[in-house]
Parts: sequence; C-alpha cells; structure tokens
Amino acid sequence: MGVLRAEPARLGVASRAVGSAWKAFDWQLTVYALMLMTFGLVMAYSNSVHDGTSPFSWGTTFTRGLMWAAIAIVAFTLATAFDYKWLKTFAWPLYGVNIGLLILSLAIGDGVGNSSRWVTIPVIGLQFQFSELAKILMIIVLARYLSAGEARLDSLSTILGACLLTAPVVVLVMLQPDLGTSLVLVAILAGMLFMSGASLRWLAVLTAATIACVPLAWNFVLHDYQKARLISFLDPTSDPQGSGYHLLQSQIAVGAGGLLGKGLTNGTQNQLDFLPVQTTDFVFAILAEELGFLGALVVFALFAALLWRILSSAWSARDPFGAMVGAGLAAMILFQLMVNVGMVIGIMPITGVPLPFITHGGASLISLAVGLGILQSINLRQGRAEW
Amino acid sequence: MNDAFLPNDAARSRRPMRFLAFGVAVALVVGALTIRLVFLQIQQAPAYEALAEANRTATAALPSTRGVVYDSAGRPLVRNVPTWSVKIRPADLPYSQREAIVARLAELLELTPAEINLRIESNPGSRFDLARVKNDVPESIARIIAEERLKLPGVEVVVESRRDYIYGPLLSQVIGFTGAIDPGQLADLEAKGYLPDDLVGKAGVESQYETALRGVYGVQEVERDATGRTIHVLQTASEPKPGESLVLSIDLKEQRYAQKALEWGLKAAGVRRGVFAVMNPQSGEILALVSLPTYDDNLFAKGISDKDFQALMQDKDTPFVNHAIAEQYPPGSTYKLVTGTGALADGKLTRTSTVLSKPFVQIGPDKYWDWNHTGWGPLNIIEGFGHSSDTFFYQVSQMLGIERLAYWAKQFGFGAKTGIDLPGEVPGLVPTNQWKQDTFGQGIFPGETLQAGIGQGFDVATPLQVLNAYAALANGGNLYQPQVVREILAADGTVVRGFQRKLIRKLNVKPVHLETMRLAARRVSTIRHTYNVVDMPIVVAGKTGTAEFGVKDKEGRLPFHTWYAGFVSKSGNVTKPDSQLAFVAFVYGANTVGNAATEVAKYYLQLHYGIEKDYRIPSLLVRGNFYGD
Repeated sequence: MGVLRAEPARLGVASRAVGSAWKAFDWQLTVYALMLMTFGLVMAYSNSVHDGTSPFSWGTTFTRGLMWAAIAIVAFTLATAFDYKWLKTFAWPLYGVNIGLLILSLAIGDGVGNSSRWVTIPVIGLQFQFSELAKILMIIVLARYLSAGEARLDSLSTILGACLLTAPVVVLVMLQPDLGTSLVLVAILAGMLFMSGASLRWLAVLTAATIACVPLAWNFVLHDYQKARLISFLDPTSDPQGSGYHLLQSQIAVGAGGLLGKGLTNGTQNQLDFLPVQTTDFVFAILAEELGFLGALVVFALFAALLWRILSSAWSARDPFGAMVGAGLAAMILFQLMVNVGMVIGIMPITGVPLPFITHGGASLISLAVGLGILQSINLRQGRAEW
Repeated sequence: MNDAFLPNDAARSRRPMRFLAFGVAVALVVGALTIRLVFLQIQQAPAYEALAEANRTATAALPSTRGVVYDSAGRPLVRNVPTWSVKIRPADLPYSQREAIVARLAELLELTPAEINLRIESNPGSRFDLARVKNDVPESIARIIAEERLKLPGVEVVVESRRDYIYGPLLSQVIGFTGAIDPGQLADLEAKGYLPDDLVGKAGVESQYETALRGVYGVQEVERDATGRTIHVLQTASEPKPGESLVLSIDLKEQRYAQKALEWGLKAAGVRRGVFAVMNPQSGEILALVSLPTYDDNLFAKGISDKDFQALMQDKDTPFVNHAIAEQYPPGSTYKLVTGTGALADGKLTRTSTVLSKPFVQIGPDKYWDWNHTGWGPLNIIEGFGHSSDTFFYQVSQMLGIERLAYWAKQFGFGAKTGIDLPGEVPGLVPTNQWKQDTFGQGIFPGETLQAGIGQGFDVATPLQVLNAYAALANGGNLYQPQVVREILAADGTVVRGFQRKLIRKLNVKPVHLETMRLAARRVSTIRHTYNVVDMPIVVAGKTGTAEFGVKDKEGRLPFHTWYAGFVSKSGNVTKPDSQLAFVAFVYGANTVGNAATEVAKYYLQLHYGIEKDYRIPSLLVRGNFYGD
C-alpha cells in the first residue's frame, strides 16, 4: 500500500501536483463521452433535415443541440475543476434543493398533457427538465449517505435509510407524472446499494418486497396510459394505431436499417413522420435505420467503453464517496441504455427514458456532463486526501 | 488507501465481486441488445424493409372517365361534369371529436347529424375506406371544409365527376342512373377493381352496360406519410382506360314526340300510368321508349334526399318501374293476332273461310258474350279481326285448343323475355295445361281457352312483347331482339361494336298467312274501328285492345286498360312487309269512352309525320265505361 503513497517533491508541489493530477484525468472517459455526444448531434442534424428547415438556422433541433453541447462541455469543465469534496459537505442542502426544485416543477411546470415535467426558465425561455437534475443530485446524496454509513452496511437500517431518502424524490417525480425517471431513480438506488457492498440478504428481501408491491402499484399508482403502454408492449398488435404504434413503427425502422443503414437523413420512417417522438425517446430507432447495424454496434461499443471507464474510476477511487458516485452514474447509464434501446427494439415496454447523450435534451446532457465532471474531479483528487 | 475511509471488512471483501458482477451485467445487457439487433436488422431485415416500404408505398387507383351516351343522331344525352364531394374516412375520425365534427358538417352541408352518421355507418367498405357523405357540394362550401381541414380530421373533399343527365326525366327510364354500391354487391365488385366509394350503374343502360361505360381504372404507386396523405407519385403502373360511350337507337326527337303524345293522353284521360314505344320492325331498334310516370335521374346524380326517394318509392304508380318491360298486363284484343295467325298456319282457317260471329258462345251454363252483344254474322278472318269480334275468336280458340294457342303465342315471343338490353324485364305468361297443373293443380278449363284467345284470363304480356309481335307481323315474320343501344364507341370515337340485328326466330308461318293478317290489321283501320285513323294521310294498320283487369266496381264493372299496337306501311301497300315504324300505346286503367291508346298513337303519328291536321278526338277520352273490343 505504501508504494501508492509516493510523496511528490516539495518543490513545485502545486505544478507537479497538477501535472500528476492530469495524468489521472481520464481522457478515455472524456473521449467516449464526446463521441457519444457527437452521435447525438448527428441525429439532431438528421431530425432537423427532416423538419424541413435548414439545420443550421437558429432554433432547430441541431442548433439547439449544439448549444446544449457547448453548455455541457462548460459544465463538465467546471465540475472537473470543482473540488468534489464540497459536495459531501453540501449533500444535505443539495437534497433540500432537489426536493424544492421538484416541488417547483409540480407547481409551475408544464409539459405534455397534464404533466409538469418542464419548467420554462424565464429570461432565456428555454425549457429545463428538473427531474434529470434530480438523478444526479440523488446520486450525490446517496453517495454521501452510503459512504458515511459504510460501517453499518450490513444492517438493514442503512439500506432502509437509503430507501427512505430516495422515496420522497421518487414520489415527487411520479406525480409529474414521470414513470420513466422514477424507475431510473430506483435503478440508481439499487445499483448503488449493490455496489456499496451492502448485505445481499437484505437486498434480496427488499427486492422481494418491491415485487410484491407491483400489483398495488398497478391498480393504484399507474395511470391508464402507462398501463396501456405496458400492455401493448406485450402485444403491440393489440392496438396498432395507438400505443402499439410506436413499438411497431420503431421496430420497422430498426429492421429496415439492415447492416449498413439507409444513410444519414435517408430514413423513410423518420422522413415520413412514422415515428412522432423521434427527436427524443425514439432517436435510437432513427439511428438504427439510418446508420444500420454497424452504426448501432459502434454506439453500443462506446457505451460499454464509457461504462468500463466509469467503473474503473469507481474501483480506483480511494474515497468511498467517489466509488459510490461512480456506481450511481454507471447504474443510471446502464439502466437508461437498456430500457431506451430495449424499448426501441421491442424487448422492453415504452417508458419515457432518454438515451444518454443521444436523446436531444439540455437537462439530460448537462446532468450527465456534471456527473462525469464530478467523476473526473474525483479522479484528479485521489492522490491527495486533503486538497 | 486511507484507512479511515476503509469500509468494514465484510463490505470490502464483497466489493470486487460486486464490480465483477456489474461488469458482467454490462456485458449481458449489451449482448442482449446486440442479439436482438442482429435479429431485427440482419435476419429479419428484408421483412422489416418490406414493412417500411409498405408503410410508405401504396397502390392508388386512378379512376377512368365514364363513357357518355348519345342518341341515334349523335346528340349527347349524358355528360360528366366536375363536382365536389365530401367524404369521410371513419378510421381517421377521432372518437372524441366525432360529434363536433358531424355537427359542423351538418351545418355546412345542410344535412342532419343523423343522416351523416347513417352514411358513415352504412358505408360498405371498411373503416379505412372513404364513406360518401354528400355529392355535388357547392364550391364555396367545399373550400370552407378544405380550409377547416385541421379541425375536421377524417373529412376529405374530393373533386369527382358526376353524371349530368341532360334531358332528365325524358330518358331516365332508358338511361337510368349511377349510385353507391350496395353492401351486398361490394365483395364481388371489389374483386373486379371497384372501390367502396365508387358509383355503379343502378338502372337502365347505365346498369346494363356498366362494364363498357366504366372503363378500366389505372394503378399508381404512391408514397404516403403516416397520415395517409399522398406525398408524391412513384410511378404510374397502368394508365386508366376511359370508358366506352353508347350510341342509342333512341332518337331524341322521336322520344320527345312520344312523351308529348303520352303525357297529353294520360292527362286527358285522367290517369297517370302508360307506355308508348316505337320500333323499326326491320331491325328491332327502339326509336322511342316512354313509360310514365317517371323520375328525374339527375336527382340521383346529385344525391337524392331521403324525403324525395321515399316519395318516389311510395308512389303507387311506381315511377321507378319501366312499365314497358318490367310489368305485365293482359293484352286484350291485341292478342287476337296470335289466335288468327295460329288458325291460318294450322289450317283451321283460310283467308276466305268464315266463322259465324254469334252474340255469345255458351259453355255449360256460362255465356261468353261478344262486345257488341249481337255479333256480325259470318265473318272471315279479315273481317273478324277488323271488327275485333270476340265470339269469332272464341270459336277460333276452340278450334286451336290451348296448347296450339300457346305454341303460336310463344312463336310470337309471348311468355319469354325479349332480351332487350335493359334490366328488369319480365317474361309475361302464356297459359298451358302443364302450367295450370303446376300452379293450380288442374288443367285449363274450356272457358279459359276462350279467354286466352282474346288476351284475357291468364294471358299477361309486357307492352314490349306486344310491340315486338306486331313488328314481326309488319316485317314478314322475323322476330328480332329489341335493342336500345345501337353502337358502342371507344373514347376516341372508333366503333367498338357496331349495330348487329339479332333474330330471335323466324316465325313458322307461311308468308301468305302473315300477309292475310296484315290485311286484317289494315281492315281495323278501314272498317273505322279506330275511327279516323284511316283518314290520316298515312297507311296505318294495327289492332286496338281493351283489357279488363282487377276488381269490379260497385256497379259490377271491371276497370280496363286500353291498347293500340300497329305499324305504318312504307309503300302504302300492307301486303308488302316494308314497314319501318311499329308502335305500341298502352294506357293503364283508362276507363274512357273511347280508346285512349289510339288517341295517343294518333298524336304521336301526327308529330312524327308532321301532319298538320289534328285527328285527335278528345271527347273519346272522357271517363265512361266502354265495354268491348
């Protein structure tokens, strides 16, 4: 162990500290993330072409995507530079902020149908989905909680405490209503509990209890359209014009892409409006149609690589907080990948879960950027216990 | 590592496994997604490609222009005019908005919401096919609906061509009309390429010649977006073939004369139902065919209201029925042509042999009276026919017997459809022992044979059958098939099918006997049985008829129809079979003092030949009860 604690020379401590710190900066992680973001921009371009206006004019999906990308990069840089340890200090206030923002969303937010997912930011006039931010904030809060209570990870009370922490957030998100994000939060909780080393026995009990609650949730919690989505997953042909429509059309899009795809902007399912939600949730369908199997494979590879880098950071983090942050991020990204792509290709029911980096949306991208930035911040600061 | 941050040993020892497990999870998820992707994109790619293709491409039918109709002189009788129609595709009509949409349409189209809903529900196609809501919508309304398109999902405004029947009721019995396809017919018609909202001929030549008139629809492959709207045409797989046009044998001028004459006659007699038809006996071509009362087929072309339709359906004089071919009546004395010809052909009579025309013929307790109740003494066939002596012909019927009588009737075309190229023809009835046995379980009684010989009893015939029989007499013994369509033309005017005379049969009668009967028919005019017909500057030969039918009135009298069937000699010498004009007039339930049908025929002949002097005797059309003939 001692060999890992090599002290740098006193002279030029700062500069060399910075120098060796930058060696710890995970370039691969950054590159993979940037490449995924590029895919996202490419799909935004295709969608803009489909919309008819020149993709480069102001206000199109593509230019807005560029703008969010720029902001995300800035956020990433700031988060990297920021000493993550302050997060530990401010975890509880951050939790309060999280709850507050979610309540705000419910109060003044507007969205599709009766939902209140987006809040319009007054001056800029852009719409922000606070539930995306909630995911990152929950990761931080849970990381703090689990890393502080590590000594008692075997006890049920720690596990229950984590659940109780998450529960209000999940409820607030469900009220919006946003089933997808609530499921992601549950996945984050589960992933972090698992990766924290908590006792499997208790986790198994908890899982069983959750499954037992499903019928209750079905009858009392889920809205009709959410139930319809789940049913039509099991049989898309039962309502080909309604909720089964997306499922069938997206599979058609994906299948029609074949090995090499139809070429960017050439997807007929896209161009002819057969997939109404194509900029957001179903963007992978367009990607698969236009870039084919090979394109999709590249995206999978990038995700796998990204997850590997995140896990690697989590593994080598000496600070359990850092490890937990990494675990949370990995769980979030893996779950969203599985559910979104699974939905598009017909092996998962429809839920409103965005595909990280690729689904168009500022909040999602910025939250990811902040999360990865925090991870980098952790990477950079592993050499020093106190900075 | 900083020991202060070390997790407890148990947790720490689990961590490597957890990381490993997570890594495995990542691999599993990515693997599963990839496998599914392989399935969709590699294995099943062709199927999905086809589905994507099917999503976007569709075959659309290109309607062909429907053929038009001309009269024999080439005058257009039917045109296609462009019109706006409003249709609904039920599958695109959101249930939640349906009431509002129907209400708005009702407002604009001046229909009730119930009517609109009925048209949607009774659409023979599927929910994805267009249902016709209203035809012939004014352009301003059509444009309003088109502008409100986004508020009226599922509603479509299309330009179609509709029929314009230029002369309306004058020719509706011959031309007919087109209308929506009945649900019962749809399955068969779809196999032939009809669309559920197509129009199909329903009556007259529109129906009889539907296939020729319709042409062949073309096929286009189009690319459509998710709302079903056509984005652009990919290719025209086949061009539509325009429908063929019809040239009728009907002459508009003759039709007008016939209509005028019949209308006048019916009005003067105070009745509503009658027929007048004109034929060229040398070919079987129908020059005029009028059946009253009639209807205006333009009502159907524009979309008839339920009110009007019900009024027509419930009219007791049945304007939809072409009384010339689709109804059968007792022919009365016109049938004596059959009896007389049969007797001559079978050798029962010669031109000079006589039969005593008694006041009545007795069979058992029953007396069968002649119409003048006294008879005329001994008469030969020509005189007997000329006076229309009933007792003469009763005895001739007895000489022939019912079976021979039936044979000769069928020779003349009675008891079978003529095969005219119009829908709805009925065959009439010629009674025989077998028929009576099958129908009533007994043979023909002797008294019934008497009745059969003078066109009463069980005899029934259509006016067309009567006309055709006299035409066969006029042309020397050839029973031709009556035709209303002379020629069929392609869209560019070339003749696809020219006129073909069709012989049903050559009568099994020696020409000399037919000559005798023609002389007999002329005797009817010269003996003044038809009053002043003989005074007209044309040589008319024919036979009148007064046919009793129905139920006796309180004075014990039966109502009667009046008939007059005959021909005009070309050369003036009726022994020659050179006539080019045969006619039949029929007035239903005339109950007039004189023969209403004769008056109608006289008027027509005046108009046709441009005879200035008016030979009509209106006082004969006064109601009274005229027994006889």
